[in-house]
Amino acid sequence: MRLLLLFFIFFTSFASLAQQKSTISGYLTDAKSGEALIGAKVYIPSLKVGAETNTYGFYSLTVEKGIYTIEFRFSGMSNYSKEFDLSQDVSFNYEMGSTEKQLQEVVISAKKGENINSTKIGQIELDVEKIKTLPAFMGEVDIIKTIQLLPGVSSVSEGGQGFYVRGGGPDQNLVLLDEGVVYNAAHLFGFFSVFNADAVKSVNLIKGGMPANYGGRMASVLEVNMNEGNNKKFKVKGGLGVISSRITVEGPLKKDKGSFIVSGRRTYIDLIMKAAIPDSSPFAGSGYYFYDLNLKLNYRLGPKDRIFLSGYYGKDQFTFGSKEDDFKVEMPWGNGIAAFRWNHQFSNKLFMNVITTFSDYQFSFGSAQDEFQIKLKSGVRDLTGKVDFSYYPSTRHKVKFGVETVYHTFNPSSVSAQSQDVVFDTGTPEMLYSFESAIYAMDEFDVTEKLKINAGLRYSMFQHVGPFTRYVNGDISTPDTSFTYSNGDIVKFYDGLEPRFSGRWLLNDNNSIKFGYSYNYQYVHLTSLSAVSLPTDIWYPSTDKAKPQKGWQGTVGYFRNFFKNQYEGSVEVYYKGMKNLIEFKEGALPGDNLNDNTDNLLVFGEGWAYGIEFFFKKSVGKLTGWIGYTWAKTERKFPDLNNGNVFPAKYDRRHDLTVVAGYKLNDRLTFGASFIYATGNTLTLPSSWYVQEQNLLFNYGARNSTRMAPYHRLDLSVTLYDKAFKKKYDEVTGETIQVKKNFRSNWSLSCYNVYNRANPFFLYVDNDGDFLKGDFKITVKQVTLFPIIPSLTWNFEF
Amino acid sequence: MKKLLPLLILIFPFLFSCSKEVKIDIPGYEEQLCIDGSIETGMPPIVLLSKSQDIYAPTNLDAFLNSFISGATVTVSNGSSTVVLDEICTDNLPAGSEELAAQLFGIPATELANYHLCAYTTLNTSVWGEVGKTYYLTVNFEGKTYTSSTQIVTPTNLTSSFWKPDGNSTEWGYSWASIADQANQYDGYKWEVKRINIGIDGQPRDAFFTKTYNPFFDDAFFDGLTFDFFYENPMSWDDPAIPSEGKGFYHLGDSVVIKLSKVDEKLFNYYEKKFAQIQTAGNPFATPTNIPTNITGGALGVWAGFSPTYDTLYCVQ
Repeated sequence: MRLLLLFFIFFTSFASLAQQKSTISGYLTDAKSGEALIGAKVYIPSLKVGAETNTYGFYSLTVEKGIYTIEFRFSGMSNYSKEFDLSQDVSFNYEMGSTEKQLQEVVISAKKGENINSTKIGQIELDVEKIKTLPAFMGEVDIIKTIQLLPGVSSVSEGGQGFYVRGGGPDQNLVLLDEGVVYNAAHLFGFFSVFNADAVKSVNLIKGGMPANYGGRMASVLEVNMNEGNNKKFKVKGGLGVISSRITVEGPLKKDKGSFIVSGRRTYIDLIMKAAIPDSSPFAGSGYYFYDLNLKLNYRLGPKDRIFLSGYYGKDQFTFGSKEDDFKVEMPWGNGIAAFRWNHQFSNKLFMNVITTFSDYQFSFGSAQDEFQIKLKSGVRDLTGKVDFSYYPSTRHKVKFGVETVYHTFNPSSVSAQSQDVVFDTGTPEMLYSFESAIYAMDEFDVTEKLKINAGLRYSMFQHVGPFTRYVNGDISTPDTSFTYSNGDIVKFYDGLEPRFSGRWLLNDNNSIKFGYSYNYQYVHLTSLSAVSLPTDIWYPSTDKAKPQKGWQGTVGYFRNFFKNQYEGSVEVYYKGMKNLIEFKEGALPGDNLNDNTDNLLVFGEGWAYGIEFFFKKSVGKLTGWIGYTWAKTERKFPDLNNGNVFPAKYDRRHDLTVVAGYKLNDRLTFGASFIYATGNTLTLPSSWYVQEQNLLFNYGARNSTRMAPYHRLDLSVTLYDKAFKKKYDEVTGETIQVKKNFRSNWSLSCYNVYNRANPFFLYVDNDGDFLKGDFKITVKQVTLFPIIPSLTWNFEF
Repeated sequence: MKKLLPLLILIFPFLFSCSKEVKIDIPGYEEQLCIDGSIETGMPPIVLLSKSQDIYAPTNLDAFLNSFISGATVTVSNGSSTVVLDEICTDNLPAGSEELAAQLFGIPATELANYHLCAYTTLNTSVWGEVGKTYYLTVNFEGKTYTSSTQIVTPTNLTSSFWKPDGNSTEWGYSWASIADQANQYDGYKWEVKRINIGIDGQPRDAFFTKTYNPFFDDAFFDGLTFDFFYENPMSWDDPAIPSEGKGFYHLGDSVVIKLSKVDEKLFNYYEKKFAQIQTAGNPFATPTNIPTNITGGALGVWAGFSPTYDTLYCVQ
């Protein structure tokens, strides 16, 4: 109730200030495709004030009444200026045109000066078209692999999709596809991302200073928006690669009113395996494939209303069989996401976005040998409702507020097993139900010309509700007991305030200092038994036993641009504290949670991370790219792990250097390169061996006390575009003229790990030989995953 | 789920390109006593003591055998009788016990005299294994005391055992058994076998019992149920007389003695983790697992009580 009162006072004060002002508002779109432009600038030079379009291309700028020349700018588009009489409110929509020259440049973002002026700290926007010109692993353009090249972000392992942001775990990243949560962003055990670059419009990573409209995760937000589809004309684009192909079709539902886009991708690994494994082979029928499908529709119901329907479905299917042993395994997993959004413009200052999303991640494992069959399932399903308002009371304020609620259904692990006709008692599947809700408000406002602040507050709540059975495990002499909650019973309630704050102090046009603080609650957790990320990792909610993770982060940064914003540089220092982190108990095994609660196998602890990040970027010119360097340290302390001693997180990396470069030789030839150097990951290896019943056994030393060799790799790419124009004889003039081609294509040659560095994927202790024969030895072995891998992809568009 | 780990091991070689030996610093080595003690129904307690070795320590036969130690005081009690076990070493073995000692240490009998390897046991039958009793172990060595206890639980007999050919084969098949698990109690089992049909040397084919690949199981899934299950032939893998199509199987005509032992829950936890470690060593998908000993005082190893029953299977249709 107090919060509502606060909101009321807050907005009535803005309303009284707005009497002598006028507002210009509208939508900015791409003239070619009709796609909304995200982050386009609307700027009044005479007042030195501006606004920015939101995710739906909407802008609103309120100024003193008068006549102004207003500029409209967007990266890769021609600037547009027009004089407006703002003696009264004006509604102005504009379709911006592109400049071919700029489109081909490899840059992260061409919003010149944005990094100096905004309050955003620890945020980076990636341009998908630019990502496509960087080297791609096996020809698959990968958004997450590009994110891993940014300072403060590191990969889980060689080729892996999981990423760690500033010492946080992979579950602490909120990955959103059109506002729907993606629980597993990986295909093929983590080597490829679920994001098909052809269907993606924009990518925004927030690794610090998280705004109040985001929550539920502690480390970062990766916001991926799908293309809306061309509402001017039908277009087809696609690509043929070494292991997969993809195709995208887009076009108007009704010209300038609505559009659709459908994009599909599939691998051929199963077909290759089928060809390689003859029918007579005992392994015939084994194979792997993944596919994914993106669909999006949007329609303008009127000048103030627009609806969007987005869908994603992706599936991995692994099959392994041995006829000889009468053994077969099937392992499918995948995500399904659906999102419905309704944009409504209440006035030229108030924009509403109503969002309903459905997100589903399921993993299944089935095995059969002779008469014995076992099937395991796990998954998580979310149903989310959210109402988000953007309010633009004046040029000095940009307000967002809203509410959201999520209904989670978790199935951490359910097993069924039988032998012939006997069905084994594998217990009741552990299903967990919970509501996660939040209310938030934030205001980005200019306190003075130099000081700009974004202050927000988020209040989050979490209810674990029945039905639920709590198993209480006794020791050897005490029997296990259990008690049951009925449908709708509240098992546990948590809530908390999450203050968010970031600010910018402008030193001059080229220098600023930024600072940020955020406090986050995280009510869902990812638990993993393995040293690498797998689809078998289990999502688990907070319960009476597993408390919500809590974390805070403080960041300070110095930002500087050089040579008329052609070069951007920044240094950021951060410190992060984390409570109630979870891990499996030492020695926990898969399947131990049967007839039990998974959280009975968990232990809880705290962690902290700190570091400094340097980032230097060149955005324009023939040579573009960036250099990032991070020095960081991240540690954990769990009373029940490592004898209660502090230990480094498995992704603790002291040094991380990335260099990314693109060079455009001419309109047809582009070169890309990326280099990464990182301190090796930590891991736990046995420090001693002993013998029991003639079995050689290992005793492991301190947790994560061994460090692998440093990781470094160079990737190169070259993209050859076809000629944009073809010659045509003009019968009227009798001259040969150049006509722009409808069908465009390019060849992209990538080389991963150019100098064939044997990077460590993991280490293990091997023992081989026979004591009696004198050739027994124990060795530490390093497994390297990927040698030099060239790939060729043909991309087309018409 | 437990089948998932071996599966991932199987598919992983398809993905990675190579592995190579590396020398890398592994901190944390600390010398610890390892106790390998067991007692089963009708048998004396037997205890071997050794010391853990640094991961990069030499691994030749001398180094391995020199890790065994002597000079400890080992006591076993069943609550009413307490006996200090005798230290019996390979250089003063009682006549006729060489084969047993060789099997215990895993070396040829001819090598025994070259080493000073000691085991602790007793001929005092008051502390030999009896069903239903708990046995307490105390080891004093180099000024430290290590203690443990284990129970010999009531055994469960197999309901039946049988052999059937596998797939299209007419002469190779697994050993099958039916068990009626007792309801509402914890039951842990250990499966060992030996073939007693006479070989070409005129001796039974196997002198000692051998454990299968994963010999321990408990009734978490089948408490109170009666069902059939099968086990492989663990001796077949190293038996040159068995052709490749027969690996893992028993041959038509084999005579197999099945030794099914019961264990308590604590012991099962030890062996479950032990075999998980053996089977997942080097697998990146597995958690590094230290085996939870049932010994206090900082030693590694186990003090294990077993209550076996025996069943003879004749491999005929």
